[in-house]
Amino acid sequence: MREFFYGMFSLEFVSHAVEMRTSMENLFMLSTVGDMIGLPIIPPYYSLRLLPYLVPQISLWKRRMLREREFTDEHDYHLEGL
Amino acid sequence: MNLRRIFEEHPERRYIMFGGKGGLGKTTFSAATAYWLASQGKKVLVFSVDPQASLSDIFQRDIFGKGPVQIMENLWAQEIDADQHIKAYQEEIRRKILDMYGFDSIPDEIEQYIQAASAEPAMEESAIFDAVVDIVVEGKYDYYIYDLVPLGHALYYLSMAKVYDEWINKITKLREEMREYEEMVARLKRQKETEEDRILSELQYIRGRINASSRILTDKEKTAFFFVIVPEEMILIDTRKAAELFARFDVPISGYVVNRVVPRELLNQNIPPYLRNRIQMQEKYLRQIDEMFGNQVVARVPELERDVTGLEMISRLAGIMYGK
Ligand SMILES: Nc1ncnc2c1ncn2[C@@H]1O[C@H](COP(=O)(O)OP(=O)(O)O)[C@@H](O)[C@H]1O
Ligand SMILES: [Mg+2]
Repeated sequence: MREFFYGMFSLEFVSHAVEMRTSMENLFMLSTVGDMIGLPIIPPYYSLRLLPYLVPQISLWKRRMLREREFTDEHDYHLEGL
Repeated sequence: MNLRRIFEEHPERRYIMFGGKGGLGKTTFSAATAYWLASQGKKVLVFSVDPQASLSDIFQRDIFGKGPVQIMENLWAQEIDADQHIKAYQEEIRRKILDMYGFDSIPDEIEQYIQAASAEPAMEESAIFDAVVDIVVEGKYDYYIYDLVPLGHALYYLSMAKVYDEWINKITKLREEMREYEEMVARLKRQKETEEDRILSELQYIRGRINASSRILTDKEKTAFFFVIVPEEMILIDTRKAAELFARFDVPISGYVVNRVVPRELLNQNIPPYLRNRIQMQEKYLRQIDEMFGNQVVARVPELERDVTGLEMISRLAGIMYGK
């Protein structure tokens, strides 16, 4: 019922905010546990400290990043082939 | 200036460091200074962040990884065992994960990460850094004497505080922004308040520790940093460069201590030509040192006839450096 009262404007706004939140999440994960995909940034002693809180996001995030990487790799390959 | 007077006139300088290239006498001077302060009735901790344990050698006791070990009245010595520190820390992280999620075992992916992160060389450095914060923040002693690793590492160690601080600041800001968006989404969807962000609190905690440490290292009031040098050409060139770098990191230099000065009086005795030569060379460099550093030279320490190990030798050296 509550959903119903959303105006067009706020619906768009919410999806924008969610999107922003997700891309920030990516950036955050990258800067804290980036060494998981080969990009170490924060000193490891402190990234371990954050690890427990990131456990649920980690496999999701890793899959997302690897998918993106595969995609760009393929893309590069095709370009080279031209 | 004189070494003893610096301590007497600046009792607020509680964090004492001797820096310089390897083998010049940092550990020796740390021990002698700790000994002298302790015999003046001050409570002193001398600790080593060097993975190559050296306090054990000079005090002739195995203190590696044993926490603060009492050497004599008022004097404690500690050698940090980074490996042991990292192992205990890993265990703590695993425990936390198991408790938080009610797992029976650590998921493979996470365990692999813990292992990989711990194998990095930067892990040892950041673990030592953190251990030092622990020691110093506690504040139980009147004096903390850092037996530093050789210059390059010491600089790295000092610069790390700045780099860490900048990174943690950036990441904290990012996290804060994430949280704002989260709240906005919650408000728009009229959900319940978002719960407290524990990651943000962790980041703030980490920032607090890094700040505490770098504040001490660069505190002009509380820190005394002494350069150990010897009267030799190469050392003088290196020291001048290092002093510039230290200045860039705002490390306050309290003075230069010249070690291994061969007593001039020997010239009146029948000594072999090489020793005569050495004394003459040293005179030339001692003059240069005085020109370069002027009244920042706080002591000239003679070369003793044998290595400084054991309390008796330490006491003798302390007597030479600080007077009885
Ligand atoms: N004034 C001195 N006279 C004789 N031996 C010294 C003197 N200063 C240092 N040594 C010896 O030189 C060696 C290196 O000194 P150390 O303090 O371990 O150097 P660092 O900690 O800078 O690497 C040690 O064996 C020490 O006993
Ligand atoms: Mg040493």
